[in-house]
Amino acid sequence: MIDGRSFAAGQAFLLSVKSHWTRVIYPAVRDEFESGKRLEDSTLYRYFCWLERHLQRFKYSGRYGLQPYHAQDRARLEASLAEAEVELREGMEFPEYYTAIDIHQHPGGVWSDPIAGFVYERGARSTTPLAGARHKDLHERLTAAALDGRPAPARILDMACGFGKSTRPFYEALPGAEVEAIDFSAPCLRLAARDAQRAGARNVHFRQRDAAATGYPDASFDLVTSTMLLHELPPKAVERTLAETARVLRPGGRMVHLDFLPNDDAFDRLIHFGHSRRNNEPFMEPLARMDLAGLLGRLGFRNIEIRPFEEADGTLAPGYRYWRFPWALISAER
Amino acid sequence: MKPEQTFFDDPALDRAFGVVMALAQEVWVLRDRVRAMEAQLAGHGVLQIEKLNEEPGGDERAAEREAFVAHLMQSLRGEQQSKGMP
Repeated sequence: MIDGRSFAAGQAFLLSVKSHWTRVIYPAVRDEFESGKRLEDSTLYRYFCWLERHLQRFKYSGRYGLQPYHAQDRARLEASLAEAEVELREGMEFPEYYTAIDIHQHPGGVWSDPIAGFVYERGARSTTPLAGARHKDLHERLTAAALDGRPAPARILDMACGFGKSTRPFYEALPGAEVEAIDFSAPCLRLAARDAQRAGARNVHFRQRDAAATGYPDASFDLVTSTMLLHELPPKAVERTLAETARVLRPGGRMVHLDFLPNDDAFDRLIHFGHSRRNNEPFMEPLARMDLAGLLGRLGFRNIEIRPFEEADGTLAPGYRYWRFPWALISAER
Repeated sequence: MKPEQTFFDDPALDRAFGVVMALAQEVWVLRDRVRAMEAQLAGHGVLQIEKLNEEPGGDERAAEREAFVAHLMQSLRGEQQSKGMP
């Protein structure tokens, strides 16, 4: 039995250690690298790597982990999903890349356990200890960037919506729009739908569908978006997903995908690709090596823009030295 | 299950540091609980925090502490505690 206070204290401890890792250890490793030291010879770098992998293991699977904590409350959590209205596909087959590795070190992945959505949702509250001030969270920032200075889209598709955190700012900001949200994970979709219903949203539908083959008619959306989808796909699936984006967008419609793309800095790439391995996210490096602008051009997109994305105030400022994901906004018009 | 990733030259250090971090987490969980208990007890007038925080007049738990330390350090000597194989 893990009581609530001990769970909260155990998780808070991990987040404090991660915050120290972000603000103190990471800049110190960078200093060593910039002074010409080989990281293979750096003891600090070994600890940096160890902590990146194992703090996440503790967070999900440890004594005060998200998985055992939620599992002991399984009956109540599952019952709370009964009210969720969601379109599921009985016996849906998943691609091999989706099931072969437990993404983010989430035991069983985000799809196999009926309570996986709760585990993922709680874990996502403390993914990145942000050093910058936050007036809006990441998803609200993406929504603002997607809608900035343009006519409000009437139909929106959120690919790989997970437990609905990325979808919510869209259906809340645009109550007149119809929002379709799709994902592979039934447990996440159920939680997303339950929470949307509880929030009184009537303009969003959650469906279990593949972003690379959505089943929607051609030219049926004004805006297609995703958050942290592309780096979880092997290159062939990225190509199919962007082709599907092109197919379902009406002419003049817009795509806005938020993901991770490191710049050309050798240290940034080493850290990012190392994170990929240490956190069970194997397709970050292949994505970074793809020619996305060329691919989008071949798919008929125009006004293609790939630019760094400021996930919190000040994180793109010169001299910002703390660890962060290399957030990038990939946008284009059909 | 696959073997865990390692980052040090000797995987014993990878594993031992995991033990250290698990203990550190337990220490924080316990400290959090003790502080919360103190606050509740003080709130009900059962505990005087200032009195608890005072430096004790004598060494109240000396024998208990000596035994704790002896047990903690015993392994370092590397001596068998029963007649056995070399």
